[in-house]
Amino acid sequence: MKGNFWKLMCFLIVTVMVISGCGTKATTAPETAAPATTAPETTTCNDADRVPITWSTIAGFYTDAMTSIVKDFEAENCVKVTIVGIDNAQLYDKQIIEAVGETGAYDVYNIETAEKAGFAENGYILPMDDYIAANPDKVAYDDIAPVLADITTKYKGHIWGLPYYTYTQGQFFRQDLFDDPTEQAAFKAKYGYDLKPPETWQQVTDIAEFFTRKAGENLKGVPLTKDFYGIGLMAGPYQEIQDELSGMILYKGTDWLGSDGSILVKDEGNLWALKWYVEKLLPFAPPAALTVTYDGVMNQMQDCQIAMTANFFLDQWPNAANTDNTCPGAKMGIGVGIEKTTYIGAFLMGVSSSSKHPKEAMDFVAYMAGKAAQTKFASMGGSTTRVSVLTDPQFNTAESWWKTGHFAYLLKVFENMKDAKSNLFYSPYGAKLYNAMGLIYHQAAVGEKTPEVVLKELYDTFVNICGGDVCTVNK
Amino acid sequence: MESAVIENTKPAMKKRKTISDGKYAILLIAPAMVIILFFALVPLFYATSVSFRHADLTMGGLQGWVGLDNYRTVLHETKFWSTVKTTLEFTFFAIIVEMTLGIFIAFLIYGATWGKGWIRSLVILPLAMAPAVTGLFWRYLYDTQFGVFNYFISALGLPWHPNWLGDIKLGMISLIIFDTWLWVPFVALIVLAGLQSLPKEPFEAAELDGASTFQVLRTLTAPMLAPVLTLVFILRTIDLLRLYDSVATLTRSGPGDTTETMTYYLYRQGLVFFRMDYASTMALLFMFAVIVASGFALRPLLSRLAKRAGAR
Repeated sequence: MKGNFWKLMCFLIVTVMVISGCGTKATTAPETAAPATTAPETTTCNDADRVPITWSTIAGFYTDAMTSIVKDFEAENCVKVTIVGIDNAQLYDKQIIEAVGETGAYDVYNIETAEKAGFAENGYILPMDDYIAANPDKVAYDDIAPVLADITTKYKGHIWGLPYYTYTQGQFFRQDLFDDPTEQAAFKAKYGYDLKPPETWQQVTDIAEFFTRKAGENLKGVPLTKDFYGIGLMAGPYQEIQDELSGMILYKGTDWLGSDGSILVKDEGNLWALKWYVEKLLPFAPPAALTVTYDGVMNQMQDCQIAMTANFFLDQWPNAANTDNTCPGAKMGIGVGIEKTTYIGAFLMGVSSSSKHPKEAMDFVAYMAGKAAQTKFASMGGSTTRVSVLTDPQFNTAESWWKTGHFAYLLKVFENMKDAKSNLFYSPYGAKLYNAMGLIYHQAAVGEKTPEVVLKELYDTFVNICGGDVCTVNK
Repeated sequence: MESAVIENTKPAMKKRKTISDGKYAILLIAPAMVIILFFALVPLFYATSVSFRHADLTMGGLQGWVGLDNYRTVLHETKFWSTVKTTLEFTFFAIIVEMTLGIFIAFLIYGATWGKGWIRSLVILPLAMAPAVTGLFWRYLYDTQFGVFNYFISALGLPWHPNWLGDIKLGMISLIIFDTWLWVPFVALIVLAGLQSLPKEPFEAAELDGASTFQVLRTLTAPMLAPVLTLVFILRTIDLLRLYDSVATLTRSGPGDTTETMTYYLYRQGLVFFRMDYASTMALLFMFAVIVASGFALRPLLSRLAKRAGAR
């Protein structure tokens, strides 16, 4: 028995190794390579003298791309940075537990936009106003896209950190489908107006319906080998469903919370958004839309299954652009989002109030969010928050289109959204409210409950979390 | 020389006998008790204390005493009862499928004439990995576009294209299938061990008397195997009731909230919303229910064991 078991285990391990060696390459993240940059100024420092700081952040591309920049920081400063990559689903919980326990395990936190107010309100992070005032050139705070600077760093009149990665939304679409004369003629005949990337929600629905086709039907005059869908949606049991809905809610002139903290989640605008999403978008999305989040949608795009996204994270552009390589005949396009109203947000780096080395931690934050680091980050395909990097000519060339083609659109979105900031980002309950929403909206998406019932449940959840029908909002 | 050794050891033996059996037994279980005290009882008492207080970790932490308010809130919460219902539904169907399949497989292996060792090794494989890891694998197996299950369904030419994790009618079934795959080997192996430990004589006598297979099964195998079956039934039931990892990795309580079990809801209350007061209250209610149910289920087994001990 024992001998057989070990033989079997060895056989399985060898088989897995062979299979993994022969398998095709994953398509979710195109390769990124750091460009040759000028070597940073090095500082001579014994390892034993280095000040240790720890950065808790999201495991994956965000962190992988930042690793070489961290090394640059270590070369210039007598600091040793330990990066703790944590799965996104656990990052908030883990950071909160350490913050509440005042363990000092992490010197620098990675904070999502909706979480900032809670971290600040509870004193988990330190304000950086004094540091920024003392180091104006190093930080160059005014260079951060103003709307991002506002929603990600400001709370109760203080600045609580610096953003380093934006996941602001725009839209992606198969430009080749919109350029095809056969499709253009068919669309005009059916809907009475020209086929072009959608700008209104009615156009999104029309175009999504138009391109939803069964295997065997023609697309660009060629029979489809599998079903094709008009739109890719993130309707799975994750938080991204509310990011998709966010643009629709803001477009209707409403929000999740009013500026006075009143709970608006079941008002007319919110109901319109959820109903439109469920009734007029989801029927034209792949069935897997009910189980996936953004990476699933990117897989669908690269697998030639969908014509476009609705409002979608622009930082995924390098993955979306890869569709040109994976889907024969595809040519990807970018837009600023439907009705020019989308979700905006960024990851903030905030210094823990339990940090034993707050000065070094702030130096680290300033470095990572600084222009040099952000330029390097952008060259690797990272979505920077700095205007000077977004407008840097080296990132607006045909060669860099595959990595940074979305930069110009990010700037437009920031401009479009300069006055449309969700009040949720200024509530200390923001993180909890944000974490509660996904699973509740998802119930409407799968048809378990009607949008009306779901919004009532969402309202009750908000009341429960905020301890009443008004949630604190501090701008 | 030899006699000297004997003389020296005798007093030592006498000295050892001065510790009574009771004290000796206490000494033996003391390390285990200390561990249980620190890792089970202290947290239990602390959780009990938290359940009577207001405890929102992100809004001031542990605060004043609120009496039975948390119990009142939890017991009046529709969501709590909905998760209880989901948990019981899941447990009921999963235990039936797992016990039936597990017993069936155990009998198949028991009756196998060759390759028993290999079969046992293969059967144990699902148990070799953590449910959290296998849950992630199965997420891909269930995928509507790229999943293996739908690939085979299409290959068979069936018109059915199930959305395993996205269809509210299939979510629970998908979870039960996964849990069955994971835990049937456990049931099968325990039952198999029980079968192999049965005495041969009664069965040989029955064979000589010309008893049919069904008669042997009903009058000999089933009663003799009952203690093992009861034990495995209770262990699996408790495990099913506290299902968390499969939900967290496979369904994330979806589609909708059709697979939101009590423990997953408890986790969300405690570690997503940081309401440790509600989470502790739910945990205590859950523990109380499991202890009571286990007590009832274990009573026949314990009384049988007590009788057997008394007869000796």
